[in-house]
Amino acid sequence: MSELTLGAVRHVNRKSGALASFFRISPKGLIPWLLPLGILVVWQASASFGALPPSILPAPFDVAKAAWRLLLSGELIANAAISFRRAISGLVVGGSIAFLFGLSNGLSRLSERSTDTTIQMVRNIPNLALIPLVILWFGIGEEAKLFLVSFGVFFPIYINTFHGIRTVDPQLVEMARSYGFKGFELFRRVILPGALPSILVGLRYALGIMWLTLIVAETIAAQSGLGYMAMSAREFMQTDVVVLAILIYALLGKLADGSVRIIERVTLSWHPAYRKGARL
Amino acid sequence: MSAVAFKPNQGERGASVVLRHITRSFGTNAVLEGVDLEVKPGEFVAIVGQSGSGKSTLLRIIAGLDDAYEGSLTIGSMKGQKTAARIMYQEPRLLPWASVIDNVAFGLGPQASRHQAFAQARVALDAVGLGDRGGEWPEVLSGGQKQRVALARALVSKPDLLVLDEPLGALDALTRIGMQSLLERVWLEQGFTAILVTHDVAEALTLADRVVLIENGQIALDLAIPFDRPRRRGAVRFGELEDQLLTALLKSKSKTEEYVI
Repeated sequence: MSELTLGAVRHVNRKSGALASFFRISPKGLIPWLLPLGILVVWQASASFGALPPSILPAPFDVAKAAWRLLLSGELIANAAISFRRAISGLVVGGSIAFLFGLSNGLSRLSERSTDTTIQMVRNIPNLALIPLVILWFGIGEEAKLFLVSFGVFFPIYINTFHGIRTVDPQLVEMARSYGFKGFELFRRVILPGALPSILVGLRYALGIMWLTLIVAETIAAQSGLGYMAMSAREFMQTDVVVLAILIYALLGKLADGSVRIIERVTLSWHPAYRKGARL
Repeated sequence: MSAVAFKPNQGERGASVVLRHITRSFGTNAVLEGVDLEVKPGEFVAIVGQSGSGKSTLLRIIAGLDDAYEGSLTIGSMKGQKTAARIMYQEPRLLPWASVIDNVAFGLGPQASRHQAFAQARVALDAVGLGDRGGEWPEVLSGGQKQRVALARALVSKPDLLVLDEPLGALDALTRIGMQSLLERVWLEQGFTAILVTHDVAEALTLADRVVLIENGQIALDLAIPFDRPRRRGAVRFGELEDQLLTALLKSKSKTEEYVI
């Protein structure tokens, strides 16, 4: 029995190890940040020496000042929070519908035959092309953003869930069946874990599309959010705020990608490619 | 020939297997044509044959993985109820996302209570000599160790019938000999009925009470192996039987020589 608990502890260690290695800052961990830092230095230098007029591109220091100003007024936090909420609700709505369709079409040929062709047709419509129609339908309210983000994240999650389930090793499924696993237990113990690497790849793609869609939608038709903040700043020639908004997009994108990486490290720690030390 | 096979446990636990006129066709191609075979409880039977002779098809039918056959298959345990066969495949088929001990506990099926399952899985893992590796991922194990985990998974539910589809075929020669003696040991200890498909004549002679040769979908030879256990490959009689079986195997090949240029 003691060996048993030891095994469990080892598992937990492995998982927290994945988390720790993600956050640990080692000399090697700094390498990815050298290039952005270098760009920042060159940028500040050329702005300070007058090579860059502030109306084209304000210095990083001015952008930081704008960030501080908006932070103090509460505007930045409020807009970021609204954008974040829109992004997440779109992801949850579109992602769960896509996941359900992916499951159902991956597991049942009948379901695939009934819906896959339609989904593939709709998939080829660029979701941003729907903006005029969406504005006519929903105006510029929350529904418009929710619809567009949901629509955008649907396809990568659908396709990768479907593909993940279809490519689960049939030998493992046969083995599990021979041990009496069927229905939900077969799904939970064999099919879902087997499909998970692919599903998470879909999630990573979806997160990129999520931000892209939301920012464009907010830029065109919104009265709050980061995209709106950038757009209204343009009208007042506040280049620093525009640049700040763009930088925040980059940061949010990195944050979203990083969180999926953590999910991958934790849930796929059995997979050699996602193990500690194996950087993707 | 006077030596009697050492089987202290025969009939105590194993299931009997009776095949009556089993025929299995894929399209117009008949892979098995009227196979009759009886396996006594606790017996170890090896099925040998050329590739494409239908031996794996026969095994899949016995294992319950294929039910599109004609004829009748009866598996009866000593307790009188029908029992499910446990299967060992050529590949270990371990779940890569489950620890070694979870993989073994998987063999108890979906209903097993987690706590009970772990206790039994520990015992099964100990029996294959991997008791200290329970917390690891299958991926870090060697090929032979993975097959031992697969064996523990097959045995954890204490089956009455174990069918083995060339389970040692992918292992190196030394590991294979070790696995053979492990298989023989657990079979002697637990007394289940074992049916082994192999293309390795020496392996069949080392392990089986009876060797059945399948040729063109029919049983061409059914040979009782009279040696004491544990068996010595170097023995003269062993060599003679091996030679006899190999000759029979190779003869069955000559029928398919239409492909030879």
